Amino acid sequence: MKDTLETLQTNTLAAIRSATTAAELEEIRIRVLGRKGELTGILRGLGGLAPEERAAVGKISNEIKADIETALGAKKTDLDGAAIGAMLAEEWIDVSLAGPASSKRPERGHLHPISQIQYEIEDIFTSMGFEILDGPEVETEYNNFEALNIPDHHPARDMQDTFWTEDGNLLRTHTSAIQVRGMATHRPPFRVIGPGRVFRYESTDASHENTFYQIEGMMVDRNISVANLIYFMKILLKEIFRREVTIRLRPGYFPFVEPGFELDIHCLICGGDGCSVCKQSGWVELLPCGLVHPNVLRYGNIDPAEWSGFAFGLGLNRLVMMRYGINDIRHFLSGDLRFLYQF
Amino acid sequence: MWLSLNIIRDMVDLDGIAPEEIAARLTMATAEIDGIDAVNRHFETVVTAKIIDVMKHPNADKLTVCDLDAGKEKLTVVCGAPNHKKGDIVALATVGTKLSEEFTVTETKVRGVNSPGMLCSEKELGLSDDHSGIMIFPADTPIGVPLSRLYPDRVDVRLEIDNKSITHRPDLWCHAGFAREIAALFGRAFKHPVDLSIAKTFTNSEPLTVTIHAPEAAPRYCGLVVKNIRIEESPEWLKSRVSAIGMRPINNVVDVTNYVMAEIGEPMHAFDRKKLRGNEIIVRTATDGEPMKTLDEQEHTLTAHDVVIADAGGPIALAGVMGGGDSEIDDATTEIVLEAANFNPVNIRRTANRYGLRTEAAIRFEKSLDPEICPAAIVRCYELIKRLVPEAEAVTEIVDAYPRKHSENRIETSSAFIRKKLGQDIDDARITGILSSLGFGVRDSGGDLDITAPTYRSTKDVSIPDDIVEEVGRIFGYDNITPVPPMVPCAAPARNEFRLFERRLKTILSRDYGLTEVSNYSFVGEAPLAALDLDEGLELRLRNPLSQEQDRLRRSLVPNIVGNIAFNQRYSDAFRFFELGRVYIKKSRTDAELASEQTRITGCVYAKTPASPLFYDARTALTGLIGELRIRGVQLRPIDSGLPPYAHPGRSLEIVIEGKHAGLVFELHPAVRQRFDIAGQAALFDVSVDQLFAAKKLERSFTELRKYPDVPFELSLIADRFAYAEEICAIAAKSSREFVRDASVVSVYSGEQIPAGKKSVSVRVVFAAQDRTLAPEEIEKLQKGVIDALGKKGYALR
Repeated sequence: MKDTLETLQTNTLAAIRSATTAAELEEIRIRVLGRKGELTGILRGLGGLAPEERAAVGKISNEIKADIETALGAKKTDLDGAAIGAMLAEEWIDVSLAGPASSKRPERGHLHPISQIQYEIEDIFTSMGFEILDGPEVETEYNNFEALNIPDHHPARDMQDTFWTEDGNLLRTHTSAIQVRGMATHRPPFRVIGPGRVFRYESTDASHENTFYQIEGMMVDRNISVANLIYFMKILLKEIFRREVTIRLRPGYFPFVEPGFELDIHCLICGGDGCSVCKQSGWVELLPCGLVHPNVLRYGNIDPAEWSGFAFGLGLNRLVMMRYGINDIRHFLSGDLRFLYQF
Repeated sequence: MWLSLNIIRDMVDLDGIAPEEIAARLTMATAEIDGIDAVNRHFETVVTAKIIDVMKHPNADKLTVCDLDAGKEKLTVVCGAPNHKKGDIVALATVGTKLSEEFTVTETKVRGVNSPGMLCSEKELGLSDDHSGIMIFPADTPIGVPLSRLYPDRVDVRLEIDNKSITHRPDLWCHAGFAREIAALFGRAFKHPVDLSIAKTFTNSEPLTVTIHAPEAAPRYCGLVVKNIRIEESPEWLKSRVSAIGMRPINNVVDVTNYVMAEIGEPMHAFDRKKLRGNEIIVRTATDGEPMKTLDEQEHTLTAHDVVIADAGGPIALAGVMGGGDSEIDDATTEIVLEAANFNPVNIRRTANRYGLRTEAAIRFEKSLDPEICPAAIVRCYELIKRLVPEAEAVTEIVDAYPRKHSENRIETSSAFIRKKLGQDIDDARITGILSSLGFGVRDSGGDLDITAPTYRSTKDVSIPDDIVEEVGRIFGYDNITPVPPMVPCAAPARNEFRLFERRLKTILSRDYGLTEVSNYSFVGEAPLAALDLDEGLELRLRNPLSQEQDRLRRSLVPNIVGNIAFNQRYSDAFRFFELGRVYIKKSRTDAELASEQTRITGCVYAKTPASPLFYDARTALTGLIGELRIRGVQLRPIDSGLPPYAHPGRSLEIVIEGKHAGLVFELHPAVRQRFDIAGQAALFDVSVDQLFAAKKLERSFTELRKYPDVPFELSLIADRFAYAEEICAIAAKSSREFVRDASVVSVYSGEQIPAGKKSVSVRVVFAAQDRTLAPEEIEKLQKGVIDALGKKGYALR
């Protein structure tokens, strides 16, 4: 009996050593240790032996079983490792490729540069407590001119500046019209901006467009002063350009503000020393602003004795052109993807 | 507009102030200065020289070599002129003289002979148009003297004013206005050039009457008859000044009237009195169709909106715009009528625009000039004419028709108000000082200010306390104001949900689906609409379009998007983009109500040679968008009729939100592709953003995770080629509402083993129960249920 067991052990261990696949090992395990396996059969037959022989044979059998199981386990680990290794080699791919054409994801889409800057500026204003307002692009003469203190015979109302529609309305010439709508729906104090598309009856060239984008801003409260306006503009421009900018305010005439200003910033290209961008002046005209004209407040049913405010207009095309060095304003509405992919 | 500092100097002392400083202060306080220009700077380095000897040039027949005595030095130059001889005194431009932007004199060899300088003609010097030979001075002219000493009036510095920055300031359209500003800014005295007492010498010996029939259009008219006039060239000082400010010298009378306009701002006119018919000047509106010839020889047919100056025989001037051709002064003129008048700016602007005559006079009158300067202008004109032609004599007093007296504006405010508006502590004395220096009358009683604006600031630009704030602020200097943060409540602003929604849409499409945002004009023209069979004339038109291509407002984003495809295919074989923008819808194009502005989002996928129908790419982007926006109540309906003409009837899907049509996904109709020369395929979606925004959104709420296993069941069916796979899934789903968890298409196949006109659709149905594991017999029953339900609708197992 003991010999039989030893032969079984020797043969089985040899078979395990020479096995090359997990399946072979499994076959060996079933043949020897399975329910109807050779060693299982011997152990099952122990019942027929004398008690003293049963104990000895049982002990040897269990030892042999443990040996075989250990050998199987070790061999299995070896074989698994080899299989994984083979798999790894098999599954190697060229990671330097972007990918086969079939799995290529579509390229990233790009938001229009005007949208990008508009959202950026909207977020800056929102963080400073400004509400974002909308208004129609086709406006009434009243909202675009009259309520902004631009009387009937003012040059800004001339045909050369304004697109008129056949129904007697017009394409808004500035986002200031949103201001008018804001005053109709908001009671002071308030802070609002109105971004949007505006139109001018103007032939186009590298620096003129008939359609462009502005953001109008207005703050109405008690005791708003020129000193407040200057402070606020400095903060705003620092946020937009993400650095300190030197500004200057000089008189500028806009019928809806009094006093009115042109705000210039130190040229960002030359830092104020003078270059071709700023026409050697060191300054770039950036935005018109001023204290809201009392007539405009009155049109909005706001008592100018009690309330005052400031207003300003930012040209978005201009900002984008300055930021990226774009030399032709007509790119914006060209629909040319080669332009849009750059932003 | 050019500003001559020589002229300014007559009114304010500029000693010790650099032109650059004047320009900088004016820019910051008054008006934008566009440039500083030294007039005739070359006169400093062009000197008189005597020709000691003239020799023939050794290598050129037409050239001479001249030995010169230039006072300090003797030198030899080459000269090509034909008119000089030994002993002549000539103008020598020394090396370094800049004669023009393009030409600076250098020491050069002319045909082998060295020439350290150049002899100049009057034209080269800028003194006249004479270029027939070099300039030769009178024999008694000193030698070695720079031209700047011979012609001191010719050397000037001029500032270029940005006219746009003074449209609201009628007083600044002349030198006096700027001189007053400079005086205020630098704390110097301002001296007005007009001496009104000269009018006392006028005697009334000749008849002249003025009648204003249209006082609204012409509030004032002053006339003066001057005899013993002699028309001749203006003297050097006057020609110099007139030229420096950009006008061309004509003759003494015209130059004086132009000069007075530039000096004190009143456009003047002089008629030849002998050409006038009668002794009455009439100011009236024209009659419709009345003919008139202006002095530029243009014939006009006037309207009742134009104002004319007329005599007994008809119009002699288009009021405030241009004189008439028949009453113009000429070389034989001996008697003139000087005119200084005031006109309504609106009439002038309309007339000037109507006839395209934006003259110096018109651009001033349209700014609302002060009528009070009319007599002063007459007096100043007379004074200057008298200086030029001493025998000239005023034979009338100033004939002054002034039916509407212009008054000064009174403004009551306080220094406290001014400080509050500026946000800056400025003491009372400084405030009243600034206002006085600008010509304002100020009565200060304990900080309450009773202000009288001067007449030249009272026509339109100063009328309310806020205008006074500006006057004080700009002279004080805005740069001197200390920035102060506003005191405002700290509150979160109301959210503009629609704007945020737009932004989300754009972000999803660009980030998740790779569409790039384009932006197109709001305009469209007839041609693309016709090519899309959309030309129904519904678009709101512009009254004044810039071009035929942009003569109406878009009702759809599609036409411009198709244009974008046609454009971009030239540079790329595959691309995808979208636009989010407004369309303008009117029921009746002429109805005064504003157009309904609706926001649309229109996307496009293009490929020259797509591997599979691009429709699915467009559909994926749109359904992905709708899914991410969690829009409830969306139906996608295959649609093949009632489509817009640009949509492919076999490749279109309707988007319905809450039962209402909201948009389409479609491929471009092949006919449209042909008409736009689009080489590849293009699929679009076009949806209403307003409807997407308004639609109810799916709320998020937790559903208990299923504890029991899903049981999948796959089957393949034979269907008609035109059947919609979605219908098969719907039938399968309906076979047991309780246990069918999902039914979806695995694959669609048509090919060899499938009969013609048919296709095989493989569907995967998933069964599950909420409360138990399905028993084998239950599963079998459910499977049979699916097969039976499909069979009833004619879908047989393959």
